[in-house]
Amino acid sequence: MTIEFSLSKRQIEMRDNVRMLATGVIRPQSLAWDRAGGVPEEFLRNLARLATSMGSSAMRSGLGEEGGKEKKKSSDSMQSNLGTVLATEELSWADGALLLSLPGPGLGGPPVRATGTPEQKERFFGIFKDQDAPLRWGAYALTEPAAGSDVAGIRTSCRKEGREWVLNGRKCYITNGARASWNVVFATIDPSLGRAGHRAFVVEKGTKGFGVGRIEDKMGLRASETAELVFEDCRVPEENLLGGEEKYASKEGFMTAMKTFDNTRPIVASMAIGIGRAAYDYACDFVKRHYVMSRPIPRYAAMAERLARVGRGLDAARTVTWRAAWLADNGHANAKEASMSKALGGQAAIRACIEAIEICGAEGAIAEDHQLLEKWFRDIKVYDIFEGTGQIQRIVISKRLISNLKSF
Amino acid sequence: MISFEPTEDQRLMVDSIAQFAKTTLRPRIRELEKARAVPDDVQKTALELGVGLVAVPEAVGGAGLGLLTAVLLEEELAFGDPAAGFALAGPGSLALAVTELGTEAQAREALAPFTDGTPRFGAVAWGEKKALAERAGLSTIAKRDGDTWTLDGEKAYVLNADRAEVFVVLAQVDPSKGFRGLGAFLVPKAAKGLTVAPRSTTLGLDAASFGGLTLEGVKVPEASRLAGGDDFDAALVRFFAKQSLVFAARSVGLSRAAFELTRAYVDERKSFGKPIGHFQAVAFTIADRAMDVDAARGMVWRAAAAWDARDKSDAERGDAPRVDERECLRQSAWAISFAHEAAMRCGDDGVQLHGGAGFMRDYAVEKLMRDAKQLQLCGLTAEHADQLAAAAELGVPIDPALVLPTAETQNAFI
Repeated sequence: MTIEFSLSKRQIEMRDNVRMLATGVIRPQSLAWDRAGGVPEEFLRNLARLATSMGSSAMRSGLGEEGGKEKKKSSDSMQSNLGTVLATEELSWADGALLLSLPGPGLGGPPVRATGTPEQKERFFGIFKDQDAPLRWGAYALTEPAAGSDVAGIRTSCRKEGREWVLNGRKCYITNGARASWNVVFATIDPSLGRAGHRAFVVEKGTKGFGVGRIEDKMGLRASETAELVFEDCRVPEENLLGGEEKYASKEGFMTAMKTFDNTRPIVASMAIGIGRAAYDYACDFVKRHYVMSRPIPRYAAMAERLARVGRGLDAARTVTWRAAWLADNGHANAKEASMSKALGGQAAIRACIEAIEICGAEGAIAEDHQLLEKWFRDIKVYDIFEGTGQIQRIVISKRLISNLKSF
Repeated sequence: MISFEPTEDQRLMVDSIAQFAKTTLRPRIRELEKARAVPDDVQKTALELGVGLVAVPEAVGGAGLGLLTAVLLEEELAFGDPAAGFALAGPGSLALAVTELGTEAQAREALAPFTDGTPRFGAVAWGEKKALAERAGLSTIAKRDGDTWTLDGEKAYVLNADRAEVFVVLAQVDPSKGFRGLGAFLVPKAAKGLTVAPRSTTLGLDAASFGGLTLEGVKVPEASRLAGGDDFDAALVRFFAKQSLVFAARSVGLSRAAFELTRAYVDERKSFGKPIGHFQAVAFTIADRAMDVDAARGMVWRAAAAWDARDKSDAERGDAPRVDERECLRQSAWAISFAHEAAMRCGDDGVQLHGGAGFMRDYAVEKLMRDAKQLQLCGLTAEHADQLAAAAELGVPIDPALVLPTAETQNAFI
């Protein structure tokens, strides 16, 4: 091995393909989807076909569409963590909400892959294999009205009755939760047990007692579906307990939720970096094309400094994100680095979106053809919140640096 | 391919430098500071380890291991003592200056004395005593008469001025062309008309020596002019970017040192009945500085790897894509400003979390904080780096003015 940072030919090909799609096909629709509050299913279907015909698995690899396959992936493969991170930045650059709306197991994929029995993987990933079938989604339901960052404090209850589990409670802010064919749902057998009491279920759409509450009206990412899920004596067959009973003899139940984050945090970081880079690229183009008081803007040192700092912040986050993904691909523990990537990515991208609006001036927030800037500004904020807030990332990081630190 | 794994050879070299830093430099960090120099026995050990010529191509007498290997080793040295890299014998900045600006023959000849195992110093004099108001460029002038150049002027902030046996001096060759009219000349210390001013007392990096040079009618032959191949300006910018990246690697080592000391301290120091690291305000600061260290290191590696990829011949590169010089400059500029600022934050928070103890010289963090500020001014400053990064990104011409003290950057560096 050696330390290097050049992309392989395959990675460059993937990136160029996605960029072509991004500029030619996705970006022109971005604002319309934002206003309509969704991406038409027809577009998603065409996009999937297009990606397949281009011989690029990048579009599908975004959130682990390859299903239950466990074969070892080199970092060059687009299915590796690093490949996924690279593809994700490009797609998110095109449109963040679209990326979250892509059909597939979504954030539900990693826990099923990490914890599911072979039969469960076959069952739950199997539905995504047929490309001619209706579009399908998976989702991940952990957050509750009274438990966000405090994952251990979830109250949705589960109790065994015969060969079924009975779930009661509410989940909120679940991406694709309403349209998902199945949700990975976390519940507790006894809140006083904390993490040891947690169980993860795959709850299929149509299960008796499972319903969808409200669809959220959000600041940004408006084309992405965010749902409330309601469980009222929801009866889940015992075969849907993720990993089977024996998985929960120890603290494994909670660890399932956390392991997911080690893999997904760098992906979410690269989503944020993609949006940040979209704003940065936009500001760079604006600055190149504009003159103020008969001087080209780049001649103004203060403007150059702002751009440099935005680009630098994104690149710092990108470097840490690549490393977190690379560590995972090479079988090294990466919880600390995954949290670092998420904390840096969200903040750098928020900075980028704010600065881009300021650099472009009034036009940035108002003029018709600059409304993408305004959209990105609204879209980006949540990237420092979901999948663990910046503060939670700092708790994860500091617990791995400071001796005997169990809790604050 | 993207990979963060050093080669086996690099790992072995890093380990040996890390060992030297741990067993020799760190325990004697205050001794070096008080002596304002590296003692002879330490010089000898360091020479045997051979850090100075790592990045210099084999063709001109170096190890030819590239800039990436150099930054890996520089980080380890600086982890022991950030001043060491500046004060250890060797060609110093002169190595990259003659490699980038000179012909192969000039570089080989200039570097030959540094390969004989005796402790010698080289230096590059770019800073100016006097800033010009009337025109752009340097006030030190080089005038040509046939095959002889005559240099007049006062250089300032020259690293190792009082130790060097040979200098590369930057001077104005064509005053009408501003920063595009510069030249570089090899000047031996013994040259008639060259005097070295007493060294300055500094804020930090005490073991390093910074001082001035006065040139009064110093004559050097045309053969001593380093013409920078077919594009002197581009070569000069490359020199500053690469040299500053080496300085940035020292900032990474400094950041890591301050971070490690502070992390250990917050485990140990108790208040209100528990270790101070168990309070969120302290723990989050530790987390933030850990991110600084990791990000700075990664960025310095990326920039160094970009230069190595650019400098490879087509045959050596094989299938890997060509790396554009602009990309190297952008990555370097980002890495330089980030690493220096991260070091300043690590030094500052290091002292802060040590509390009153941090202010006392019983602990090393106050020295690291002073060193960090001084390091920020070595090579390109953040102000220069930002202008360079933006210029590289936006595709505007890369002018040497971007890396020299100008109206845009408003400051000089050392």
